[in-house]
Amino acid sequence: MMDQIRYIAPEISLLCFALIVIVLDLFIKPKKVLPVIAVAGSFVALLAVLMLWGVPVTDVFNKMLAVDQFGLFFKALILVSLVLVILASNRYVLKFEKFQGEFYALLMLSAIGLMLLVSAINLITIYVALELSSISLYVLVSFLKDKQSSEAGLKYLILGAVASAILLYGMALIFGTTGNTCLTCIADYVKGMPAASLAGSPVLLIGLVLLISGFGFKIASVPFQMWVPDVYEGAPTPITAYLSVASKAAGFAVIARILLTAFGMPAWLHNDWAMIIAVLAVLTMTVGNIVALVQTNIKRLFGYSSIAQAGYLMVGLAAMGMAAQADSTIRSGLIFFLFSYTLTNLGAFIAIIAISNKINSDNIDDYSGMAKRSPLLATGLTICLVSLTGLPPTAGLIAKIYIFSGAVDQGLLWLVIIAVINSCISAFYYFKVVKVMWMGEPVNNDEVTSTWPEWLALGFCCLAVVVIGIIPGAFMAITQNAAKIFGI
Amino acid sequence: MLEQYGYVGILLIIAVGFTITIPLLPKLLQLIGLIPHKKNPTKSGQYECGMQTIGKNWVQFNFRYYFFAVLFVLLDMLTIFLYTWAVNIKELGIGGLVAVGVFLVILTIGYLYAWRKGALQWK
Repeated sequence: MMDQIRYIAPEISLLCFALIVIVLDLFIKPKKVLPVIAVAGSFVALLAVLMLWGVPVTDVFNKMLAVDQFGLFFKALILVSLVLVILASNRYVLKFEKFQGEFYALLMLSAIGLMLLVSAINLITIYVALELSSISLYVLVSFLKDKQSSEAGLKYLILGAVASAILLYGMALIFGTTGNTCLTCIADYVKGMPAASLAGSPVLLIGLVLLISGFGFKIASVPFQMWVPDVYEGAPTPITAYLSVASKAAGFAVIARILLTAFGMPAWLHNDWAMIIAVLAVLTMTVGNIVALVQTNIKRLFGYSSIAQAGYLMVGLAAMGMAAQADSTIRSGLIFFLFSYTLTNLGAFIAIIAISNKINSDNIDDYSGMAKRSPLLATGLTICLVSLTGLPPTAGLIAKIYIFSGAVDQGLLWLVIIAVINSCISAFYYFKVVKVMWMGEPVNNDEVTSTWPEWLALGFCCLAVVVIGIIPGAFMAITQNAAKIFGI
Repeated sequence: MLEQYGYVGILLIIAVGFTITIPLLPKLLQLIGLIPHKKNPTKSGQYECGMQTIGKNWVQFNFRYYFFAVLFVLLDMLTIFLYTWAVNIKELGIGGLVAVGVFLVILTIGYLYAWRKGALQWK
């Protein structure tokens, strides 16, 4: 037991640094040092993750947590997005005055929850980790304490609690059917089931549907997406960024792990849930894209855009479900897309945070002529929007080709056709923002300034987006390595 | 498996039956004529004895009680964990000591936070 502690070194080190942040915040006046410690803690945790990378796949603490490349990859991704969010919020936190320490500490605590979530292989640990991250996020969403932010926080709390209840009910039914909470034990039971379709085992079917619904809330898939626009609009912008990438990436990681590990084996079962996911994918991307067309607030726009992106990601999840016998190339499409989406969306949000700090508005109309007021920020935002649309030479294009070709390979051509049509629709609203920035007349000629941490974060994202777009090979190899654990 | 659920079912029937029978029992006895039926104000009040209630039951509390309640729950948890640890102190050994130490440190930081943020002051 004690010797297994080293496998959760990333989480423990991050927790220590979060506690240091809390204590220091109580006793020192200059708050500038807090983000430095938070970033340092994230890097220490990242180092711990990298040191675990070569470790052979094991499960620790009586099959509660797994140590594998899949989990470690997502832990690294969560930590990178944590660092970027902390860097990007260096001016934004001045709005909180008294509560800067809590802001950083809660961000780190929610990151710990997400890191445990992606490596959990037991329904109990999955639920506890999910709550650990969610409770911190409920507080963070209402951190601005104004009317909108409080409303967003309360909405997120109530709908999140309902989703948790649904999830728990699903888990209870699955436990009731299989008699186990550990994913591999459930897989063993399911393999021996006599039923030839889910209809033969209604309790398991209902459990699975409730489970997908519960996580559908986390990943913002239709019809569980109604919280997204309001929460994204009301939350502090760095938290919106964090919600749209880290929380979503962890949600996809855990749902992929549950579905593939526990329900990945008999062909009738994985084809059944892959079809559920495929249908939800169609709904998700269509609703997200069409409603995004009429948005005038950039945070709401990105809310709906993230719903649409969740739809593309679910295409990858459906392909993973169909691809029981396939190699890790198809399985890694989802992971690669999450990787590129995380960096792209964070980049876009960092630019938005920097711009809104100056103009104090989230209306797309106020972005008019931003290219003249701050050419570099406008360029960064444009690169990220191009990548979100999926045009060359960016990561978004490679990710979409990767995920769609995998789906076509698995006979989901109809789904890919719908997804491509949706991509074309999405170009319209992404380029509306680009057009406003580059062709519009500036509202006034005040220069929009930004600080070096924002530059660093934005520069890193844009560079990564372009580099992944031009030489994707190395990154594909990493994601394929991460997807290997689902092989049979 | 099914038999065990059967027992639950029997318990359920008994529970429902009991809750329905007990309120109806006085009425039944009244019909038979075992209980006299004489109304008076004292008998039909909320409380048969003691003082009359004053005001409404929606009383506002000072929300500072809430802080103390939360801090008290922290101490409660501490007691529960320390007690179970103390009972098995020999078997748990150094590992248990370290684990309890970590738990105490985290709790202390919680109290430190409450103290510095002024949650312990009543003003």
